[in-house]
Amino acid sequence: MIRAIIIDDERLARNELKKLLMDFPEIEVIAEATNAAEGVEKIDSLNPDLIFLDIQMPGKTGFDMLSELERAPNVIFTTAYDEYALKAFEVNALDYLLKPVEPKRLADALQKLQLEEDKEPISDHPISVNRSILGEHDQVFVKDGERCWFVKLSDIRLFESVGNYAKVYFGANKPLILKSLNALEERLDEKVFFRANRKHIVNLRLIEKIEPYFNGGLLLEMKGGEKIEVSRRQTVKFKEMMSL
Amino acid sequence: MLSTPAFMYHAEPMAYLIWPLVQFRDDQEGEKVRFGSIHCISMPKNANRYYWWCQISGWGFLALVMVLFSSTLDQKITQKLVGFLVIFVFAGILTTHIFREVIRRSGWLLLPVEKALPKLLVGVLLICVADSLIRFAFIEALDLSTSKSKMDFISRLLATTFENGLLIIPWTLIYYFYHYIENSRRQQLDTLKLEALVKELELKTIKAHINPHFIFNALNSIRALVDENPVRARTAITELSNILRSSMQAEKLETVTFEKELNIVKDYLALEHIRFEDRLQIEYVIDEDTLDQPIPPMMLQTLVENAIKHGISKQIGGGKVKIVSDFKDNYHELMIQNTGYLNGARNGDGFGLASTKNRLQILFGQKANFDIREIDGNTVEARVLIPIDMSK
Repeated sequence: MIRAIIIDDERLARNELKKLLMDFPEIEVIAEATNAAEGVEKIDSLNPDLIFLDIQMPGKTGFDMLSELERAPNVIFTTAYDEYALKAFEVNALDYLLKPVEPKRLADALQKLQLEEDKEPISDHPISVNRSILGEHDQVFVKDGERCWFVKLSDIRLFESVGNYAKVYFGANKPLILKSLNALEERLDEKVFFRANRKHIVNLRLIEKIEPYFNGGLLLEMKGGEKIEVSRRQTVKFKEMMSL
Repeated sequence: MLSTPAFMYHAEPMAYLIWPLVQFRDDQEGEKVRFGSIHCISMPKNANRYYWWCQISGWGFLALVMVLFSSTLDQKITQKLVGFLVIFVFAGILTTHIFREVIRRSGWLLLPVEKALPKLLVGVLLICVADSLIRFAFIEALDLSTSKSKMDFISRLLATTFENGLLIIPWTLIYYFYHYIENSRRQQLDTLKLEALVKELELKTIKAHINPHFIFNALNSIRALVDENPVRARTAITELSNILRSSMQAEKLETVTFEKELNIVKDYLALEHIRFEDRLQIEYVIDEDTLDQPIPPMMLQTLVENAIKHGISKQIGGGKVKIVSDFKDNYHELMIQNTGYLNGARNGDGFGLASTKNRLQILFGQKANFDIREIDGNTVEARVLIPIDMSK
């Protein structure tokens, strides 16, 4: 059973979607929200597997709402017509439905979701796991200006502190997010993400090479070619972790 | 041995052959063809090069032909002949080039044929005489005159001028008609370009008038209504058709009555009300006498759409749209008020606001006005003033 939340400011639009979803018994609509603030609240309290998200809403847009979330659930966007949004989708291959929604398109989108889930089941986290820590397979929504991405944490090589922001390195992209490195460190799984120095958090699974460096420090070369220095203090910790 | 002028007569049929071969391509580089508000550089930059290439090769070819003629007719190629030919080519190029400058500067090419021809004729005559005089002057100065062509000055001048005419008239005809054809071809192209531009603008305005976001949202609401409230769904479809129809007709009309426009706006707001439900309140304050007043088509509609897009849809709790129409002094005053704030978000809409004012002043003169401002802290008011036409 997939537990879903519909977030849309229009009652009729929500009703229409619910009606269409009746043909898919595996989807259970557990809640509805009429704006971004309400959406965030319901997502945090109900922890749904999937959200249907309208982009243009009063107050904050759907994109803004997603970038506020610590952990992005599976999202299917719904929009009537929005050139900019459609462009963002094309670039990042996020899934979206155009209103009025075609039943066939909805079926396709849900099937795609099911396939992804079979690969990496999303609902097999033991309930006891501390929800405030992001796992390796969790995804985050990153928005930088007009562009947005869903990124699996396991694909992120590096977080770099830039003032109040953090630069996120994945693939060929390095967008900025409004989060401090310290706040990130608290939320990330320390078995995977390691604070190399004051300015960098690296993904231990995506290190290409390790070399000794001045003062007993280390120099890490990441899979993307970035060279990161490990401070002396952290080197001790790093060696401890790696040698078990 | 042939005298030089006689030789020229022989060469004359050749001249007819040669001129058409050397295609004249004049430059009009930098000359802008005004066509409505479209300016375009009409000719490629290397046109000037073609012109000179044609001039030099044309006259040079002519000189070459003369040399060949003289040698086949067993005439010795004397230094005098070479000198004569150099002067012939030089004078020809110089005079026709001056002629071209005159034609270009005085814009004869743009005149209708019947007006241009007399001017060209006079020009040709003057140029032919000038050419002869230049040649005489050089021949005298360099002492190149052939002893056998001793004639009195007047008859020599007439003969040479006539001979020049046989070259310069074809030159002029080719020059003129080449440009005549070129111009009409270009005009056709410009007309086509203009038509395409008009079409594009028409499409753009239709798109600007009816926001696709609105259409698809309306359709989505109507689909939901089909089960929930079939009667309302049916009227909604009629309302949507009215809006689509009037937006397509809008381009063809300069003005519509306020009543007609108001009906579209009522349909529009009824549809938005389906979407926003109790988040949208609508109020009309209409002086019945203003219903006959002319206004630009789709103007009110655009303003109301903006009120929804930038006002109501941004408010979590929704808001109110109020439409006021009355007479104030000698003006028809239209006001659209909506809950919301006037801020930077309006910038993207700048085009719509500027074009609204522009359109009003084109239709109703400088006294017509349009402004938009914030009142009472959370209301935005757009106000249109149209002077009343007393003659009606």
